[in-house]
Amino acid sequence: MQRRQFLAGAAGLIGGALAPRFALANVPTPFTFEMSPPMDSREKFIAWGLAQRGEDPKFLGERFDRFGAMVRNEDLLNDRHKHAFLLTPREKFVLQQNLGRAYDHAFLDIGFGVTISGPHIVGRMTSNIDPKEGEKVLEIGTGSGYQSAYLSHLTNKVYTIEIIKPLAERTRGIYDQLIKDGYGEFSAITSKAADGYYGWEEFAPFDKIIVTCGIDHVPPPLLQQLKAGGIMVIPVGPPGAQRVLKVVKTEGADGQMTVARSDIYGGRIVPFVPFTKLEGDQIVGTHNN
Amino acid sequence: MNEARPIQSVDAVVKESVEDTSGDAVLSPRERMGLYFAVGLAAGSVIALQIDIMRVFAVGSWAHFGSLVVSLAMLGFGLTSAVMTIAKDWFSRHWRIAATVALGLFGPLAVGANLYVQQLGFNAIFIVSDPGQKWKLLQMFLAELAPFLAGAVFLGCVFLKSNRTFGRVYFADLAGAGLCGLVFLLAMYVFVPANLIAAPLGLWLAACLAWALGPGGGFALIPYALAGALAFGGHFAVAPAFGLKTLAVNDYKGVSYARKFPDAKRVYESASPFGYLEAYSSSYLHFAPGLSDNAGFNLPTMPVNAYLGLYVDSDGPIGIMRDLTDKETAYFRFLPMVYPYIIKSSPKTFITQFGGGISTEVALHSGARDVTIAEGNRAVLDAFRSDVIRNFTGDILSKVRVIDYEGRHFLAHTNERFDVIDLSLADSVGLSNPGGFAIVEKFSYTKEAMETYMRALAPGGVLSVTLWNKEEPPKSVLKLYATMAAAAREVDPAHLANSFFVASTYLSTATVLYKNGDFSFDEIEKLRAHTHDMSFDEIYSPGFVYDSSQTAATLDGYVQQIFAGAAGGPPAAGSSDPVAASASSEQGADATPPSGKSDDGVLPATVMGRLAWHALMSGDWPDIASRYVFNTRALTNDAPYFAAYVKTPDLPRVLDRLELLQDEWGYLLIWATLGVACLTATVLLAIPVLWGWRTIFSHSRGKALTVLYFACLGAGYIMVEVGLIAHFVMALGNPTVSASVLITGMLVFSGLGALTSERVLPRMRLFMPLVFLAVAALLMSYAMFINNALDGIGSLPYGARLVFCFLLIAPPAFLMGFPMPTAMTTLGRLGKDHMFIWAWGVNGCFSVIGAAAAPVIATNFGLGAVIEIAAFTYLLALPAFFGVIAVDKVLSRP
Repeated sequence: MQRRQFLAGAAGLIGGALAPRFALANVPTPFTFEMSPPMDSREKFIAWGLAQRGEDPKFLGERFDRFGAMVRNEDLLNDRHKHAFLLTPREKFVLQQNLGRAYDHAFLDIGFGVTISGPHIVGRMTSNIDPKEGEKVLEIGTGSGYQSAYLSHLTNKVYTIEIIKPLAERTRGIYDQLIKDGYGEFSAITSKAADGYYGWEEFAPFDKIIVTCGIDHVPPPLLQQLKAGGIMVIPVGPPGAQRVLKVVKTEGADGQMTVARSDIYGGRIVPFVPFTKLEGDQIVGTHNN
Repeated sequence: MNEARPIQSVDAVVKESVEDTSGDAVLSPRERMGLYFAVGLAAGSVIALQIDIMRVFAVGSWAHFGSLVVSLAMLGFGLTSAVMTIAKDWFSRHWRIAATVALGLFGPLAVGANLYVQQLGFNAIFIVSDPGQKWKLLQMFLAELAPFLAGAVFLGCVFLKSNRTFGRVYFADLAGAGLCGLVFLLAMYVFVPANLIAAPLGLWLAACLAWALGPGGGFALIPYALAGALAFGGHFAVAPAFGLKTLAVNDYKGVSYARKFPDAKRVYESASPFGYLEAYSSSYLHFAPGLSDNAGFNLPTMPVNAYLGLYVDSDGPIGIMRDLTDKETAYFRFLPMVYPYIIKSSPKTFITQFGGGISTEVALHSGARDVTIAEGNRAVLDAFRSDVIRNFTGDILSKVRVIDYEGRHFLAHTNERFDVIDLSLADSVGLSNPGGFAIVEKFSYTKEAMETYMRALAPGGVLSVTLWNKEEPPKSVLKLYATMAAAAREVDPAHLANSFFVASTYLSTATVLYKNGDFSFDEIEKLRAHTHDMSFDEIYSPGFVYDSSQTAATLDGYVQQIFAGAAGGPPAAGSSDPVAASASSEQGADATPPSGKSDDGVLPATVMGRLAWHALMSGDWPDIASRYVFNTRALTNDAPYFAAYVKTPDLPRVLDRLELLQDEWGYLLIWATLGVACLTATVLLAIPVLWGWRTIFSHSRGKALTVLYFACLGAGYIMVEVGLIAHFVMALGNPTVSASVLITGMLVFSGLGALTSERVLPRMRLFMPLVFLAVAALLMSYAMFINNALDGIGSLPYGARLVFCFLLIAPPAFLMGFPMPTAMTTLGRLGKDHMFIWAWGVNGCFSVIGAAAAPVIATNFGLGAVIEIAAFTYLLALPAFFGVIAVDKVLSRP
């Protein structure tokens, strides 16, 4: 066992013993990009999360279980992405009535005719655009706020636009509350309620764009605001049978811009992941039966 | 030994009792008239409530769940029959009060059920992932069952006491239901869907009045008035006062999004049988279906505030364009609909489906010298003629010639020829769906329709068909390819390989061009250059060479994609220990890219398209199609469905991965409905059997054949009705109108048949076999030839179409009215009272099974097969009829 992990585990155990004294919502240790939650053991992760993030062990356990399934499915590109998933408290972004299914591999209703995408699809989409620290990422369709929260663990420049004003305000409220609670990383998220079709000229160009709402074509303003070499991902189709379109913008030697379409599986046919139910880290079936 | 009299003597038994109505309730002429009116109006209100529920579901959430709930609720008739069979004596004694109370409850229960269901918040898209939704579905079913149970008890009591003169009361039942279907059709012009319940309520109150003036007695008037006040007041006063929704539109319906846009404003609304239309204006609406990505680098701006969103039954939007300036229409060049105009200058253009007008705008701005448009939905044309939309579009209809019926019918009956015929993305963009996609007949896309379009091309003319291509693995585009290739093979096989040019954009659109004659070299070069300039993918062009080394990997890969880990499928992707996996990647961060990292090579969907065209041209398609993961059968007039992609043998293997096939839920739901209907009907039928097979039925001869007889009638009748509704959409262009015409026509003509049937009772042993043979022969001929007739009718004025459709329905419907009352009356007159009421339940249960089986058969074997199977059930009923008229042992005693 590495020393770092041992210390984290020990700190977690101590923290766990003292947990009742802390309000679970307060985050003892502010986020840094160097933060490295344990990934080799469920128990260590829970202990670490309790100590460092002040989060509920129940959700920490569920998060780690889903993490295992996502690693198996290669939905997380590298350690940065693994950390981002493990550090994002998905339970803060789902409706109260769906808390019990926060880490299910399923999209969930968040009201307003909007869903929060399943963890696998969020992981896979984010891995595809692979934002680096300092890169500007624009999200069209803030929705629950989970996607931008996840992104804020990968870069400190996240811009997000939501078309439904009451939803934009609700999600902004969640961010603000979480920032107050100590999730300082969410301060990297700049949000507004507007028509995302036109992008966000004020902060353009963007290194990466992630679109999470339905549209019958790729909006030209978004392609214009995407940097050369930039990547955009857009889910297409109904929530259950969604395929994610990946658009790569390239500048030729003659300065001509071109766009290449593919999907987030790199043009390879990859088996779909059914909506799995987990017990511990074991898949026990699907939601269909 | 059976001492029964020979069954031949039944004619004499029945003849002796032709005027014997001693088992019937003794009623005065006025009471009898009141009874007939009450039965007709009550049956009509039940039918009206069924259509109302389906309309409410279509507008609020998803029509398929409306059909499911109504189908199952109709099992209320089976449940009532089961209970009444067991408790026949009680109902015989208390029939009047039971019928009076049940009728009085129908209205309040209908309103209560609707209010309960609308507050439930059922959401079809979460039915797989959220276990709570299944309970809500069950609650919806139970709630909607209540009014149908009340209606069934009322009708059951009346039938029970009319078992000697069943033909007359059955006539009232059928004719009343049929005519009230027509009343409902008219009500759709008056009431918005949220208030359509007023139609069944009005009919119900009229039934109450007739009943109170008849057998129910005047004392019932006051309670009925109170029930009416409760029902109407509950819907129109109490619900709004307490903020209860009478029609909750699902948040995932297209119109719900438009309503949330801050500057959204509804500028148009109309209600009719052709749909509930709403048009919204908002700066947040953007339409450019299939726009090339290159538009982003070649256009300074896209037009703003340029669209209205048109929603039909809350689905949409269909984009309606403002009258744009030439500068604003610069983006048209980047749309796939512009393809035919790359090679045709100043063409005479025909737009087969106007929709929101995008293809028409493209034609008008691409140099077409003459544009003719066809639109089968009259409500859409009316919308474009309204002041607000006419002004918005610069009166686009004034710039074109308008054909106010389906384009394919016009082209089939005209000598005009066109340089460009367009069929492009006229429907909604379908960005959202509260469930799966509905299974609807798409007669504009069938092989026969394509042949019509191809034959209507002038020499050198081009047919351009653009379809959404958003599925992975590809589904609908492969069906389109197979359909168009099959049509061309029929029309001009000699030029097949040189007549097509196909391009697509990944997860966007696909466009197929067919030329009357070979594409020239110059034309191919122009089309290729445009495809390259737009960054579209070339799928097929004359001389195209396909690399067959990719075939096996592509086909196997798609099977793997859907069925990995399924029973009988390929193995699941390897699973490794998550901890080990994460630990190994710890050592070399960023060292292990996931499988989605590289972008090399041609996309599988593009390869599949090329493979499809290669096989379609070379004749290898049957083999390729059999190896492809989904069904890719061509659309025909007999099976006009962009649906049923899951191959039937694969159905059991998709049960654990339903969420992967959300766009197929409509199809899977019809299977589920059939399964549930069979199961529930079996339970309902088993109750009386277990209760009294050896007791209450012990004296009945021919029990099994009687069950078979009524099962055949129940399934056969409804299958003809449902099958013909789908067929008649071809001529009438709209499923709601088709359903109303069929329901009215079938029931009224069958009612007349039922009324006439009394006259043949004494000669039924000779006459009825002829009826069964005639019904079967008529249905078989309809199965084979009705499409030809409907094709001709489709081009007539709408009023004439309705008349001819009624005339087409009349012969089989009239004859199909004979078997049920003949047999029921015979059961009554032979004293088989338990069998009488149970037979009604058997008929009801198999109606539900037949209604559920019809779409399953249609999507798998074609609409003709539905009618053929119905014909077979009538043939099967012929020998079973002799079991029904077998005389009981008790009668045989001297």
